[in-house]
Amino acid sequence: MGKKSVWALMAVMSLLFTSLAIPALAADTIKIGMYLPLTGAVAAYGSMAYEGIKIANEMEPEVLGKKIELVLVDTKSDKIEAANAMTRLLEKEKVVAVIGEAISGNSMAGNPISEAAKIPTVSPSATNPLVNQGKNYAFRACFIDPVQGEVAARFARNELKAQTAAVIIDIGQDYCVGLGNFFIKEFVKLGGKIVSTTYIQTGDQDFSAQLSAVQAAKPDIIYAPNYYTEDALMAKQARDLGIKQPILTGDGAQADPLLEIGGAAVEDMYFTGHFHKQAANTDRAKEYIKRFEEKNKKDADAFGALGADSYFLLVDAIKRAGTTDGTKVRDALAATKDFKGVSGTISMGENGNPIKSMVINKVEKGKFIYVTTINP
Amino acid sequence: MDRQKRNLLLNGVGLILLGGVLFLFSRYGSDYHIRILNNMAIFITLAVSYNLINGICGILHLGPNAFVAIGAYTAALLTMSPMEKQLNFIIQPLIWPFSAVQAPFLLSLLAGGVMATVFAFLISFPVFRVRGDYLAIVTLGFGEVIRVLCNALQGVTNGPLGLKGLSPFTNLWWSWGVAVVTVLLITRLINSSYGLAMKAIRDDETAARAMGVDPFRHLLLAFLISAFFSGVAGGLLAHLITTISPSLFTFFLTFNLLIMIVVGGLGSTTGAVLGAMLFAWGGEALRIVESPMNLGLFTIPGIPGMRMVIFSVILMVVIIFVRRGIMGQKELSWGWIFDRNPR
Repeated sequence: MGKKSVWALMAVMSLLFTSLAIPALAADTIKIGMYLPLTGAVAAYGSMAYEGIKIANEMEPEVLGKKIELVLVDTKSDKIEAANAMTRLLEKEKVVAVIGEAISGNSMAGNPISEAAKIPTVSPSATNPLVNQGKNYAFRACFIDPVQGEVAARFARNELKAQTAAVIIDIGQDYCVGLGNFFIKEFVKLGGKIVSTTYIQTGDQDFSAQLSAVQAAKPDIIYAPNYYTEDALMAKQARDLGIKQPILTGDGAQADPLLEIGGAAVEDMYFTGHFHKQAANTDRAKEYIKRFEEKNKKDADAFGALGADSYFLLVDAIKRAGTTDGTKVRDALAATKDFKGVSGTISMGENGNPIKSMVINKVEKGKFIYVTTINP
Repeated sequence: MDRQKRNLLLNGVGLILLGGVLFLFSRYGSDYHIRILNNMAIFITLAVSYNLINGICGILHLGPNAFVAIGAYTAALLTMSPMEKQLNFIIQPLIWPFSAVQAPFLLSLLAGGVMATVFAFLISFPVFRVRGDYLAIVTLGFGEVIRVLCNALQGVTNGPLGLKGLSPFTNLWWSWGVAVVTVLLITRLINSSYGLAMKAIRDDETAARAMGVDPFRHLLLAFLISAFFSGVAGGLLAHLITTISPSLFTFFLTFNLLIMIVVGGLGSTTGAVLGAMLFAWGGEALRIVESPMNLGLFTIPGIPGMRMVIFSVILMVVIIFVRRGIMGQKELSWGWIFDRNPR
């Protein structure tokens, strides 16, 4: 080894050692951990959830007479890091409960660890049905993909009066696959007919093959439960081809870039979603939206609202349990009933999946507006 | 005592020491430390086997994520119980025979490695027809193809939903055991006549060919061995985090491995081990810069992503000041430590 390389190695090592030497603070607080993707591919979801949790923490900073200390750990949108982060929160930070992860794949990496340690977790937005399956300590604040797909099917049949539907699914995303498949099942069950099912991949730019199949099948509606980039491009190309049927999609498409990319083509696009600020009717939601908009100077979004609800659900459960003991908080969480949250009224159902109402939004004059609420 | 005997003895002592440290950690260490150590061992296996292709043979291969994915899925499908599989495959049922088989962990790991080797063999013919940038592109493409297949073949891989509920079989003994076997075997290979031939191909393929070395045969050997250990490491990784999905095996995995072996020193097994250890441990140690720090008078708020900035700075420092990585192409060996005139 050269002299230079020895020095470089020593510099790196000493840097890492000093970083380990700074001691953690201890105080009489209740620690709630958060493991969220703040960097990497899905950083946007983690940051939005964190914004919401911060507002929620300002609204209710204390429980059981103690201050709540939030401990944030980044997961880099990665499974290995998510597992590391969860272990770190439990072993090093000794948190009593955990909020996270924002996406399903990473929650599945973290949940087995918290389950073994008997620490309850609440995920703001992990909607894959597999996440809580077989877990006792895993909860979430969002409804799951099958439910969203089913509600979309009901809305399409009952409100849009559709007889036939064409489905376009992004097979690169668990979320899109979940919504699409459960929409198909429910739509057929309600007497509708699926006339075309086509697949796309995340990152696709050209949808002419799928759209010409749709055009040939002449459906009443198009169900495209994909993310905003693909949906915006697809809507544009569909309108260019002269396909005028209404497009119905999920909450993953409801983001401002959709309007920027899609322009006039996304007018009248319908969304099933977790939250719309006009649909907010609880006092907590009104207070949250006021504070959120004052602080962040933008409209309150669904991910923030779900983050806040995860926090509120946990604090409420700790309050009712009267202790921070994992098992008792878990029991209190499971017994949550008619809790007035930010994203609606929440009751905890089977497997830690909440039962809550869903909102339908649409694009009108370049803005997301609220259409109706569908109750469970 | 001659050198060979001494080295054998020292290797034995080294292994016993490692075993002792691992035993202490498994008895008294926290889950957090054990997890980092497990990550470390898996990264060592991956980096050392990847270095065999990139560093020793001098081939810019960008598809190890494909082999890790194949190994992980094969091992996971074999260890999962038929019950658990049924719970996982909610959209399309798992196709026979995967739905019925179940195998012990060791067998599943080996099967993962063998499956990766089979795929490596199949693609080796098109891959080794080209060299340099073109080879990089072909292997990169292979990595992407496998990831897309994992998404598309819902009846085998459960598509983007991923698999969950794998038993956490991977413990310190498994992960470090595999790492030690990998390092020993690959070091033996590098020091053999095959290894010399591989290095000759790296330094000048035309000259090596003129000396009677068959490049295809040697590259194929390295490629297959590398794929096998990548596959086994994939199985270990799957049973460490107990859930897998195609998003785990993107190009970023390859990219991380590339960082490890470049920082450690391309062509040095010691370097690959060091790089992997630094990567696994450094990533966690640097978390401290992301949490808020109370310095008495004032508090610095935590900035997420800060450790990636510091990681990049370290990477740049290494590349600027030690251009060939920490170890260069040198190896740390008993000879290097004790003999005045190392071989």
